Amino acid sequence: MKRKAKDVLIGWLTIVPALSTQIMFIYIPLIWAFYISFFKWNMIRPKRFVGWANYEKMLTNPDFWHSLWVTVVYVLGTVPVAIIIGLMLALLMNMDWLKGKGIFRTGFYIPVITAMAAAAVIWTWLFQADYGLINWFLSLFGIKNIGWLNDPDYALTALIIVGIWKRVGYNMVIFLAGLQVIPKVLYEAADIDGASNWAKFKNITWPLLTPTTLFVTVLQIIASFRVFVSVDVMTKGGPLDSTRVITYYLYESAFENMKFGYASAIAVFMFALLMTLTLIQFRVSKRRTFYA
Amino acid sequence: MTKKPKLPIRILVYCILSIILVMINLPFIWMLVTSFKEESDVFAWPPKFYPTIFSFDNFRGAFSLIPMGRLLLNTLFVSLAVTISQLVFNSLAAYGLSRFKFRGRDFIFYLLIGTLMVPGEVIIIPLYIIMRNMGLLNSYGSLIVPFMTSAFGVFLLRQFFMGIPKELEDAALIDGAGRLKILWKIILPLSKPALFTSALFTFLGRWNAYLWPLVAINDANKQVIQVGLSQFSGDWMTQWTWKMAATTTAVVPIIIFFFFVQKQYVEGIRGIGIKG
Repeated sequence: MKRKAKDVLIGWLTIVPALSTQIMFIYIPLIWAFYISFFKWNMIRPKRFVGWANYEKMLTNPDFWHSLWVTVVYVLGTVPVAIIIGLMLALLMNMDWLKGKGIFRTGFYIPVITAMAAAAVIWTWLFQADYGLINWFLSLFGIKNIGWLNDPDYALTALIIVGIWKRVGYNMVIFLAGLQVIPKVLYEAADIDGASNWAKFKNITWPLLTPTTLFVTVLQIIASFRVFVSVDVMTKGGPLDSTRVITYYLYESAFENMKFGYASAIAVFMFALLMTLTLIQFRVSKRRTFYA
Repeated sequence: MTKKPKLPIRILVYCILSIILVMINLPFIWMLVTSFKEESDVFAWPPKFYPTIFSFDNFRGAFSLIPMGRLLLNTLFVSLAVTISQLVFNSLAAYGLSRFKFRGRDFIFYLLIGTLMVPGEVIIIPLYIIMRNMGLLNSYGSLIVPFMTSAFGVFLLRQFFMGIPKELEDAALIDGAGRLKILWKIILPLSKPALFTSALFTFLGRWNAYLWPLVAINDANKQVIQVGLSQFSGDWMTQWTWKMAATTTAVVPIIIFFFFVQKQYVEGIRGIGIKG
């Protein structure tokens, strides 16, 4: 009996450090973010309660809608392509007879573990209009100098390319895991029936991969919705606000324009949106474990 | 998928994979080549595809403009401090949550896991204020203290601990060993793969962090490598050969490190499928 009481105490004590820091540095800030969003505050003068004014300002501000739009375009440009390439790589890598899988997998994965900040510096060099490698390559096909990061029509495309490059390897690894749990018997049975490769993909691989595909899709939508580093390093939201994604807008409003209340309203908006996506993701990953 | 295709098709697959491999890593190759070029070669058209100087002049140049060594050490120190702290506190919590029965345990578990739904940028303003009030802003403390524990790490270790048979502990309990001794002597040695994977995620996550150090630190000598590098490279006056030399210094050690640990890392990603 005494032992049990002592156990309960130790049990609690083991959790205290993790629980207290998580509450202190995540839950309290989260509640605080809601709170600040009802104030006008620049951290110099005392804060002033303004009710829903920050939200009204946000929802009527074309800058906000523009940043949301830019983010949506970025997500739509990045996620599908990164998923399709990731899936194709995974299908190629899943061949039984393929040798050197480890080398390919590691090689495809390097962009994922590289810091985005460093990668973005390299890509800025590649995208240079005058002496950049990409424009040289395009010139071989007669495509004239594109301004890329200096051109409002192309800057977001450049960021999307970087985003795809960064995410493909991750998608490949997840798809490979999904492919490996598909029972081989199904393919053997299809072989006996004389099914073509395409028929096997359409009728076996793709349907059984659906949970993985859903999981990767939601995960990548969340991740690319939060894009910030490549924007900060490569374009600073420009030229002409053409790459000012929502996280960058939040960062600018808070730490450059010192509108902490307004920025908090943006933060709350982002939280609501990402929370919805995360709940979808939880649903999806439950299904995924069920299949796998 | 089961039949081995004909030789030409196999060669084609190898070719496609190899081409993609080179394309994906072309930015890094180009970074290396540029960091060993003379400044004037950067403006050659068509570009020169090979290094032209076989010396570390560009590296010396870059190091003279930013305190690269200092930035790397700052980042290493902060990342290691966070990793060690998380290993200690996360495994404690994971042990408590997997082995002790008490009221509210499941609630606490979900409370911890719930923090995974809160993206960093959403709480960045309040976190900034908290750090300011604690007097930690612009110090290593601001980069370490908020990340001392992580719900993700607790989750990962708890899953692993639950897979360890309880019988292993029972004998030790009967012998009168304390709970913490059991954690230290029995559970942790059995959990080396999980501990390693979780340490790897934490370390790389901190090493690559950008937004928070950008906000929390404004003393150039206390900055981490990622922010320092991007600020150095943001100056259009600086020559590209120097920028690429600095980037090489920041990137290559981590790539080499990854070669050694890639297996555990990728296994971890596969097992959990959460973190990127």
